[in-house]
Amino acid sequence: MKKYADLVVVAVVLALVPVLAGGSPYYMRLATLALVYMAWTVAFNLIFGHTKQLFLCLGALAGSAAYMTVVFTKQLELSPWITVPIGVATAAGLGALFSYVSVLRGLGIIFLGIVTLAFSLIFHNLVLGLRQFTNGETGLVSRGLGFPLLEQPMSSYYIFLGVLLVALIVYYLLMASRMGMAVRALSDDELTAELSGINVTWYKVLAAAVASAILGLAGSLYAFYNGIVSPSVFSFVSVDIPVLIALLLGGMRTRLGPIIGAAAFAVIEELVRPFGQLNVLVYGVLLIVLFVAFREGLVPMLRKTLKLSLP
Amino acid sequence: MIAIFFDGIVQGLQLSLLAVGITLIYGLGGVLNLSHGQFAVVGGVAAALLLEAGLNPFVAALGGIAGAGILGIIVDRTLLLPAYRYRGEERLLLGLILTLGLSFLIDGYLNYKFPEFSLTFQLPVPMVEIGGIAMRTASLAASLIAIVIFAGLFAFLRLTLLGKTIRSIIENEVGAELCGIDPSRTRTVIVCLATMMAGVAGVTQGLFSSLGTEMGPEFTILGLLVAVVGGVRSINGTLAAGILLGVVNAFASRYVGAYVAYIILLSVAMATILVRPAGLLARFT
Repeated sequence: MKKYADLVVVAVVLALVPVLAGGSPYYMRLATLALVYMAWTVAFNLIFGHTKQLFLCLGALAGSAAYMTVVFTKQLELSPWITVPIGVATAAGLGALFSYVSVLRGLGIIFLGIVTLAFSLIFHNLVLGLRQFTNGETGLVSRGLGFPLLEQPMSSYYIFLGVLLVALIVYYLLMASRMGMAVRALSDDELTAELSGINVTWYKVLAAAVASAILGLAGSLYAFYNGIVSPSVFSFVSVDIPVLIALLLGGMRTRLGPIIGAAAFAVIEELVRPFGQLNVLVYGVLLIVLFVAFREGLVPMLRKTLKLSLP
Repeated sequence: MIAIFFDGIVQGLQLSLLAVGITLIYGLGGVLNLSHGQFAVVGGVAAALLLEAGLNPFVAALGGIAGAGILGIIVDRTLLLPAYRYRGEERLLLGLILTLGLSFLIDGYLNYKFPEFSLTFQLPVPMVEIGGIAMRTASLAASLIAIVIFAGLFAFLRLTLLGKTIRSIIENEVGAELCGIDPSRTRTVIVCLATMMAGVAGVTQGLFSSLGTEMGPEFTILGLLVAVVGGVRSINGTLAAGILLGVVNAFASRYVGAYVAYIILLSVAMATILVRPAGLLARFT
């Protein structure tokens, strides 16, 4: 049980956040958003951190799940209990497909990056083009379609906390299984891993599928919580870049890195909010500084300086 | 029909002009420049500022192009140094993230500093007629500029010693280094050339219609698509791919709409990577 102590600490600390927020709707919304980004960053850690697959379509994966869910709920009047799994399956299928194709064609990290970036743009243009389903730039109103609990600030916070904990538990279980060992081996050297009898293709595809499912789940629930799905909610700048920065900030290939990184990023973003347009500039500076001077991230740095045994 | 075709070629030449810089920097420096379109915008903004300062439009345009080149040298000598310390995959990844960061930095700064910006050059004669087809003077001028630049580039790479040096590094960086070539100096030259060509594309955009600060990402992506389809190491391929995609885009935008046209371009690029990663139209440089 000691192995999972940090999971309990994360759960307890995050569960106490609404008490600190004191019921202020503004801070509740910020905290809930931070949870969504935490779940996304946990997923990205699995894809990029552990299996070195540069997916530049996180927003598109989460967004395709969200649009599938909302459009099906709206057009076919299905229950969200059916449409959310459809959305999640869509995201997982797409993620697995990209991963499989990239392994099959031996795409390097860059070409996978370009292919997924192209998919991001295709998704964006499809959403804008298929106006009769998606309502284009304005977006679809999803309020009143989904779960009633996702319309209240307090209960939605705990629902997203639940999603994050599910993501973390899945991540912990995978890493404690054979896959953890395989993934550690293949992140060092893929060829050596393959030669020692590890099925590299399978583990890469599995990691991508599981992570994309997490992206999709958080994405579709976020669509209901947000009350509206529009292309800008799931754009490259509003999902991929923050998640990439949060992961680098927290520390790749660590358990707590995505949580701490996404929390730190939420604080940074709140600090630059008064400067309006400048947040894009701050993203750029953060990306450069983090990658050049701070490639390890917060968690490994805390480990070293405070001699803590952080997971 | 023919008008659309010519329009496509004109657009295609502009795309090639953007993409060839990405090809050169990737081939020679091993860095995929995701801020290439932003250099075009920087060139345009610099030209507009010089124009505002009361300079002759021609001088201002040259100044803008030089501005993009100077920024290119600065970036090559400072920001990209950490990337050049590595080789292969590691350098590609670091270069990708650094230039992505740079693109946000430039975009953020320009949108903040010049929110209402637009650059437009007015030519004295708006339309001319050639062989029965009415053409915009701006299109002709822009295409002429692009053709002259490409001819110059080919001559430079084929005929001069520096050009041969550059081609040798594109072939094999370690081999070239063993023959006594200093890759870092040549790299600076090529980054400067490439960003100046981006600057030209930015300034000529002002000839067609107008250039805004928000156009950087679009330029980058179009350039990237053309570079990918042309084969990210082949200059001939890039030129051909630019013209091809320009024509495809012109016809598709006319008949099936802009969104679908864009999706077609993206799918062609995706398919190229999956089917022929060396480039659809790649021949050796």
